[in-house]
Amino acid sequence: MNKFFMVATMLVALIPGLAIAGDSPAPDNARVYFLWPKNGTTIKGGKFWARFGLQNMGVAPAGVVKSGTGHHHLIIDADLPSFDEEIPADRNHVHYGKGYSEGRVELPPGRHTLQLLFADHGHFPHNPPVYSEKITILVPAE
Amino acid sequence: MKMLKASIALAALIISGAAVAGDSPAPKKAYLYIGWPNDGEVIRSNNFKVWFGLRNMGVAPTGVDKPLTGHHHLIVDAPLPPMDQEIPADRNHLHFGKGQTETRITLEPGTHTLQLLLADYNHVPHNPPVVSRKITITVK
Repeated sequence: MNKFFMVATMLVALIPGLAIAGDSPAPDNARVYFLWPKNGTTIKGGKFWARFGLQNMGVAPAGVVKSGTGHHHLIIDADLPSFDEEIPADRNHVHYGKGYSEGRVELPPGRHTLQLLFADHGHFPHNPPVYSEKITILVPAE
Repeated sequence: MKMLKASIALAALIISGAAVAGDSPAPKKAYLYIGWPNDGEVIRSNNFKVWFGLRNMGVAPTGVDKPLTGHHHLIVDAPLPPMDQEIPADRNHLHFGKGQTETRITLEPGTHTLQLLLADYNHVPHNPPVVSRKITITVK
């Protein structure tokens, strides 16, 4: 019996290492998307407000532990980060921890990708992770 | 002494009655608007999305007392309520206390007005109040 418990404990200890998402649950019908810009949009000057769409969940500032909520992260010119770690904070991963639902973006001329990733109070993606389609926009040369 | 207490209570009552907004400060550059639908939009379905635009402030669920945040209220076919009181909760004043930033609403065919009003953790508008322009839409 003791042996059984030990094996069970070990298995449980192994599970977090296998996690592919954070601990905060998200409903299956949760969805984030870009209200604007749309995929393929050309943006003269490269300065714009990106509007974040969110269905079936709510926004809360970073640090607020409340089920069914989280805050937006805008991923610029990068792939999705690992889902079982805190989302990095750098120029490619912009955090909106004050509870913003849109963000001012300034990009140089060229082709850029944008993707939204929602995350919980501790900046960990939900389980299952809630992220948008990756869109491409074009900033024409001046 | 009883009289003094009564006059203090009365004075407090008068002061709160004179208030024109709640106690939670909002930055002057806070900007609330209806990002969809547009003013004058003709909508060919009686069930449609309304997206809440908010700049320079953040969204927080009801009960979360965090400066420079609030939650959305959508006012349908009604004038603005008093700015120094809790926003009523009825079919003309829809609360989004879970921190939602958009909704779907169902409206009868006809002309309707929509307006957003942000309020603090207590459902009281900020000071100064953060209000969107009132838009008019037609549901066909």
